[in-house]
Amino acid sequence: MNIRDHLPAFLVMLPLLGAFLTPAVGSLGKVIRNGFYILFSFLTLLTSLSIGCAVFWGNPMVYVMGGDSFALTLPSGMSYPVRILFEIDAFGALFAICIAIASFAGALFSIAYMDKFSGWKKYLALYFMLTAGALGMCATGDLFNFFVFVEISSIASFGLVAFWRDKPEAIEASFKYMLVSQIAAMLLLIGIGSLYGKYNSVTMAALSSMMRDGYLERVVIALIFCVLAFKCGAFPMHTWMPDAYAEAPTGVTCLLVTVSQASFYGLIRVCYSIFPRIATGGVVGWVLIVIGCMSMFFGVMMAVVQHEIKRLMGYHSISQVGYMLLALGVGLVALGDQKDMIDYGYTAMKGGLFHAANYSIYKALLFLCAGSLYYATGTRNLDKMGGLARNMPWTTGMFVIAAAAISGLPPFNGFVSKWMIYESSFAIHPILPAIAMVTSVLTLASFAKVFQAAFLGPAKADFVAVREAPGFMLAGMAVLTVATLLLTLFPSWFTSNIFEKAAVALADNAAYVRAVMGGI
Amino acid sequence: MWSQLNSGAGYWNVFIWIIFFAGISCFVVWIRSFGRMDYKRNTDQDEIYWEGNEVPDDGASISVPASSSYWGFRVAMEPLYRLLDKFHSGSGSDYAGYFVVTVALVGLLILIGGK
Repeated sequence: MNIRDHLPAFLVMLPLLGAFLTPAVGSLGKVIRNGFYILFSFLTLLTSLSIGCAVFWGNPMVYVMGGDSFALTLPSGMSYPVRILFEIDAFGALFAICIAIASFAGALFSIAYMDKFSGWKKYLALYFMLTAGALGMCATGDLFNFFVFVEISSIASFGLVAFWRDKPEAIEASFKYMLVSQIAAMLLLIGIGSLYGKYNSVTMAALSSMMRDGYLERVVIALIFCVLAFKCGAFPMHTWMPDAYAEAPTGVTCLLVTVSQASFYGLIRVCYSIFPRIATGGVVGWVLIVIGCMSMFFGVMMAVVQHEIKRLMGYHSISQVGYMLLALGVGLVALGDQKDMIDYGYTAMKGGLFHAANYSIYKALLFLCAGSLYYATGTRNLDKMGGLARNMPWTTGMFVIAAAAISGLPPFNGFVSKWMIYESSFAIHPILPAIAMVTSVLTLASFAKVFQAAFLGPAKADFVAVREAPGFMLAGMAVLTVATLLLTLFPSWFTSNIFEKAAVALADNAAYVRAVMGGI
Repeated sequence: MWSQLNSGAGYWNVFIWIIFFAGISCFVVWIRSFGRMDYKRNTDQDEIYWEGNEVPDDGASISVPASSSYWGFRVAMEPLYRLLDKFHSGSGSDYAGYFVVTVALVGLLILIGGK
């Protein structure tokens, strides 16, 4: 038995084990606690990278829990899988890697950032639970388990957003998120239950092979679509996002960015892999495109006028999610037609997935930069900041890289993914890239404002003694900066080896079904 | 790994841009080399010129606060911002309402929408 075969289980098991061991390890002193935090986050990252290597240059990984054999998806005499099943293809592996990178960077950052606060055991346990939930969403091949992982990540995020219980704003942000989340969770469960009632299975591949186009199926796709669009922060269901991102401790916000990406993964998986007969080439793709455009435009319009740095970045998250929804919506519209796929569909999907990876990395980095500023100055209000570039040169440098990347300035990675999205969406309608470009210009305008207000100008009297962020915080930011620069310098390699394979895996529904159902 | 990225209608090569920026940087350094190095340090010659006024010690009094940036843009878009402000009411029941209405609308679109 090869240990490589068990990697999908390790991917979720490691952070879960970290969460359950935390109460014991947390009592053994600061050094052991910090070492444990970093070690488990790093092992999770290594596992996700190993899965990536196996999947990008091999076949999808399938793992069955509780069966006679971990590879036995269909027990003899059964026409569909009956056990808990993980299925990771190139599309899932891409998101798992992004989550693991952000989790590791957030862990490094949190060691220094949270050092002066109490409640470490709770923080660590919830942080690992959040990581496990998000990774589980990308690994599972079972809709009910997907729901369980959504709930694990949601409950952990409610706790982490309200981690600073003495701040009424944090409690309010968490409560509002929880309120709508629980309505969403009920609708998700009703949707999954309806499918189980009709098809006797909750395995995604089995459902995909049996799915028909009917009224029930259309209602279910609408329910699941809206729940996951809400979770990834799409307009007009985005209202929880700026509050939650602003009030959560910064290491958590860094991870929350990728948790919303796990919901985006779920949304796209549902449309492309479970309901292709309904979603392909029809109204679902157009709904994605319209919601994407509204998210882009209204998100950035709200961001431009903010002067609280984390809220500003929270609104930008909505806007960036819009780009991905637009790109994958264009891909969905093209999916039914081979010619359209070759002409622009694959470019849209590759652009959207490239942008998802970019967003996970540079947005997480921007939040860490904001956290670094808050740590040094004690304020998130840009009106009160100024002249910090002299005192915080490393933070300034990394902020500039991330801000240029998110604004789509050449030669950074954000430009490449946006360029692919502009070009492919033009094939559907010229207004789409026009909205995307206006959004990009406004993104640049708002980050120019942040740069001018926080880093440039004469030093403020209150901040003359401000020092650069501690080493661990800089290390967390450096991990994401290196990732941004790698995506910038080698876009061709990443596109042909990762994003293209992820796009092909997503478009080739038959291969996804075959990996679990064999020749059926 | 180093090759250019083709989209079908165009291509992207990051190294062309890096070479371009390196060229521009050399040009900037060349322009900067024309600057005079013979100024007298610690005299009025190396003071900041601020429209003939004395530069205040506290930067806060001469910097533009972030909330004043893009004032014109905000005024021009006032009707839209009034709507957006009303939309972001901060009320949990409003947010739950937006979600339910969106589910209903998307459900209706998908139900009646053809392939």
